[in-house]
Amino acid sequence: MRQHDNARPGLPLTERKGVVSNKSDRIHVSIREALGLLIPYIKSRVLTQVRSIWLIILYLIFFQKVVLGIPISGAIVIACGIVLVVIGLTLFMEGLMLGLMPLGELVGVKLPQRSGLVTILGFALVLGFLATLAEPSIQVLQTAGKSVKPWEAPLLFLLLNLYAPYLVYAVGAGVGVAVALGMVRFYYSFSLKPFIYVLVGGLCAFTVYASCDSNLKHILGLAWDCGAVTTGPVTVPLVLALGIGVSRMFASSESGATGFGVVTLASLLPVLAVFILSMFLLEMAPKPMSEADFFKPENRAVAERLLGGKDRAVQYVVIHAGPEGRLAYFDGSYDTMIRYVEEVWKDETRRKTIFGDDIEGLKRWIALHGTLNQQLFIFGNHENLQTFLLKSRNSAEEFQAGHLLAHNAIAAIKAIALLTIPLFVVLFFILREKLPQPDEIFLGLFLCIAGLGLFGIGIEVGLNRLGTQIGSKLPSSFKSIQLPEQQESIPDFDPAMVQTSISSDGKKHSFFYVKKGDHYIETPYDPKRYDPKTGRYHYIPHKGPLFSYHGGFTGIGLVLFFAFVMGYGATLAEPALNALGLTVESLTAGVFKKSLLMQAVAVGVGAGISLGVAKIIWDIPLAWLLVPPYLLLLLLTHWSTEEFVNIGWDSAGVTTGPITVPLVLAMGLGISTQVGVVEGFGILAAASVCPILSVLIFGLYASKKRESAFKESMAVGPTGESQR
Amino acid sequence: MMETRKASRISAFLPRSISKEVLNALSDVGVHDIFVAAARSLVIKAKKGISLLLPGRDLMLDPLDQVVFLVGDEMAHPLFNLVVEKGHLAIPGMGSVISEEIEIPSKDVLFNEKSITPFDANPIPVHPYEVKGICCIVQRGRGEGVARIALDTGTCVPAINFGTGTGVRDKMGLLRITIPAEKEIIHVFTSVDEVHGILAMMAEAGDLEQPGKGFIYSYPVKKALVNMRVVRGGQQHVASIEQVVAAIDHIKGGAEWRRRERGLQKQAGSQKKFLLGLIEINLLCDGGTGADLVKAAMAAGAGGSTIQSFRHVHPSDSPLGEISPVREHCSLIIPEDQVDTIVAALKEAGAFTDRCHGQIHLRRVPRALTYMGK
Repeated sequence: MRQHDNARPGLPLTERKGVVSNKSDRIHVSIREALGLLIPYIKSRVLTQVRSIWLIILYLIFFQKVVLGIPISGAIVIACGIVLVVIGLTLFMEGLMLGLMPLGELVGVKLPQRSGLVTILGFALVLGFLATLAEPSIQVLQTAGKSVKPWEAPLLFLLLNLYAPYLVYAVGAGVGVAVALGMVRFYYSFSLKPFIYVLVGGLCAFTVYASCDSNLKHILGLAWDCGAVTTGPVTVPLVLALGIGVSRMFASSESGATGFGVVTLASLLPVLAVFILSMFLLEMAPKPMSEADFFKPENRAVAERLLGGKDRAVQYVVIHAGPEGRLAYFDGSYDTMIRYVEEVWKDETRRKTIFGDDIEGLKRWIALHGTLNQQLFIFGNHENLQTFLLKSRNSAEEFQAGHLLAHNAIAAIKAIALLTIPLFVVLFFILREKLPQPDEIFLGLFLCIAGLGLFGIGIEVGLNRLGTQIGSKLPSSFKSIQLPEQQESIPDFDPAMVQTSISSDGKKHSFFYVKKGDHYIETPYDPKRYDPKTGRYHYIPHKGPLFSYHGGFTGIGLVLFFAFVMGYGATLAEPALNALGLTVESLTAGVFKKSLLMQAVAVGVGAGISLGVAKIIWDIPLAWLLVPPYLLLLLLTHWSTEEFVNIGWDSAGVTTGPITVPLVLAMGLGISTQVGVVEGFGILAAASVCPILSVLIFGLYASKKRESAFKESMAVGPTGESQR
Repeated sequence: MMETRKASRISAFLPRSISKEVLNALSDVGVHDIFVAAARSLVIKAKKGISLLLPGRDLMLDPLDQVVFLVGDEMAHPLFNLVVEKGHLAIPGMGSVISEEIEIPSKDVLFNEKSITPFDANPIPVHPYEVKGICCIVQRGRGEGVARIALDTGTCVPAINFGTGTGVRDKMGLLRITIPAEKEIIHVFTSVDEVHGILAMMAEAGDLEQPGKGFIYSYPVKKALVNMRVVRGGQQHVASIEQVVAAIDHIKGGAEWRRRERGLQKQAGSQKKFLLGLIEINLLCDGGTGADLVKAAMAAGAGGSTIQSFRHVHPSDSPLGEISPVREHCSLIIPEDQVDTIVAALKEAGAFTDRCHGQIHLRRVPRALTYMGK
């Protein structure tokens, strides 16, 4: 068979194009060719992000509309938000690959080559601390903490409000020490396992101890959640790159995937830091008490200390306290309270201090939460109330576009700048290296900032709202909930329509029928809602329970299943996990594919979130939910190889990022408000334990398979004969 | 071309679980400078029972270590045998090892020949035919598609590493971000009779004649023991097909008796233009410096390069201790008459200074294929 050979050395240059360049510095690419390269490139990137996020979005929409049967309010705004999320993610991931990861790798390779351990540790501390300040995860937890009442969990309330900055510093210190500790570990080639045994053992012991104290048991959820949310999508690639660089320089003969394990430490040490902080603050917090007691005059000093001063206390009472609390605050007099509301309504400066710049805030709050008298007072009559409600329902929660853009842009710039500026400082002043391919790196950083900003806006406008709506409506699957945004005022109400029913303990309940479309719905009758003067009944529809026949278990099962799929879907979209998976795939030369790792982690997160939701619904103490899995994990860690231990613990640490956290918290908030639990923390902590289990179990299975294949080969013997 | 002297290069692809033993054995005998990189191998997993119904790949991936070191010609044979013995490479399915001839610029000392204590090596089985190596570089993500050729034709168990490539894309300004630089490097070994056919089939599978798709070349191998166990799992006869083929090879004294389907080879091998008579410059330098050095080489006329990351394993008291444990291996394939210019350019860029601790050795590339321009 003949093949045509060509290109002997004597041939002209053009014929040897494959191996010789024409020595010019630039190839001129026409616009058409450039577009031909750019368009498929952009398309493939966008499609990748769409693929990772479509599951969670479609699932949420499907669940709310079809399963729960509640229409989505503000659907167009939410849709725009989701589009922004996709675009933002695309830009951010590309910026990560182009700018952030190469920058991190450069420092990771050069720093250990040129500097000693002390410089590396100092840099690690600074990086870890700044990483916590840069990424907004702690703030998100604080938003979630708004539902915590100071009388039910005083220490938790303190940590989330008055001492919130200290909480952030404590977590920052924890992360900084963790990164530094990780570097020390690489330097001396310690295994990760002893660190895990000591840390996890200690934290579990403290958890058990804390569950016995009335104040401490409520901060457990917050503490573990703080550990879970650290290390976001900007920190992870940098910390990984630094770890890989350092471990390559110092690790003696280990091969393959070294450099992992820092994220694990950065998820465990902040928990310890929060525990230490709460021990310090323990004396400041009173014991939990009832709401009425809290607002009584004899506890006034304590209340004001917790709430941060007299003005803030008043603000808190007006906005957040329930009717008895408000009554108690105003010395038990209803008239005092009404007079106070009147004064605030008339005095603009006072209104501003309480409700901030949001002028409609007081109106809206009264419309949704106030008693009938208050509503009549503010709005004058029912028609005005109705029009106001219609208007606010249609615009969902109003937002100002400019404000939204501004604070997301600032957050994005802050996140990237706080982390890359130390890198540049180290690069230029300590290492004195110039940037390779600076155009790519700066383009990458710009894309990161743009991507994070758009992503933030999209999350706020789209995903968060969707999550909050579903979260608050979710309990309708197993209990009856009210829908305040759909309230109406029914004219010509005749009290004769009301019927009476009797329950098994002899108590009488009144109800009447409301016709909606073709259905007649039974509604409980509340005499306070009926105004005889105008003949109007103030009606708030309720929903559910969807599955009332089976004592609510089917409904609860539905909620748990929802939580599982939501956790699974949201994890697949997480950018930090993507970055980690890519790094693992590169370092193991493709043996552990990114998709495989992500699937294992996603299943684990789904299971964990289900567990966390179960914790809220049945009010299981957090200790029961965390300590047994962690103890099981210690056993699995002992059996697994070092490589898998590093990768498994790390991949769990990077989950719960900007997509999962808001959704989970919204859901937790919604459920806990409806179910009436003290706080909705702890889901994230549960969601961080289970992925480690799933990855380690998968790792054990893969190792066993490989070992048995190896043994099978060895048994066959060199000449192909079985050795007996 | 500059003055060179001959030496040997031994490359072994070993399963991760036994590579440590082999590395220890080599250090004990006195090999000072060993380079290790992560790789993976593919084998076909015979589907049994219910998994036949399930969709999904039938490939199994295993982590390997690619172990490379240079020795003088006299010690090549015993060291080769040592690797085979300690790595159990005579057992089918374990791994592969090859020994090739390379050239080093005369003045350089890249390895310490005196450090190796001579020893006698135990005899090992060999292939009764000449073995050739094929190296193929493709975009990341396409490696398995091309490496499968080796599995599907029963040639050998391929090994794949990751690397980064430089070339045309670096001249395109920012637009280069649309062409990914990450590459997969596929290593395949076959007999001299089949190498053209397999090369052509792999080039076809990877569409390598299109611009930017990759590069493939073959190189001579002095001695080899190749892993031929391409299928793992149920064996339905008293002997595996590899044992039968090996037995017939021995009887026939070679591999010319082997025949493939005419159709396949004819399709693949026709009308391909090959590049002949090239030289590969292998530059080992400290981690992080490869990109700059390669840039200088490209400015001097090299078409492109592939950079791979290696770990440098050496005893703690070795005189090569200042060399960073993280090394980069840059492979530049150029026509023979360009070698001197490129090496001079590298020297000017500082490859042989203490910043980079560069080491060069040369390998002959008789046949290569890539996009050749309009």
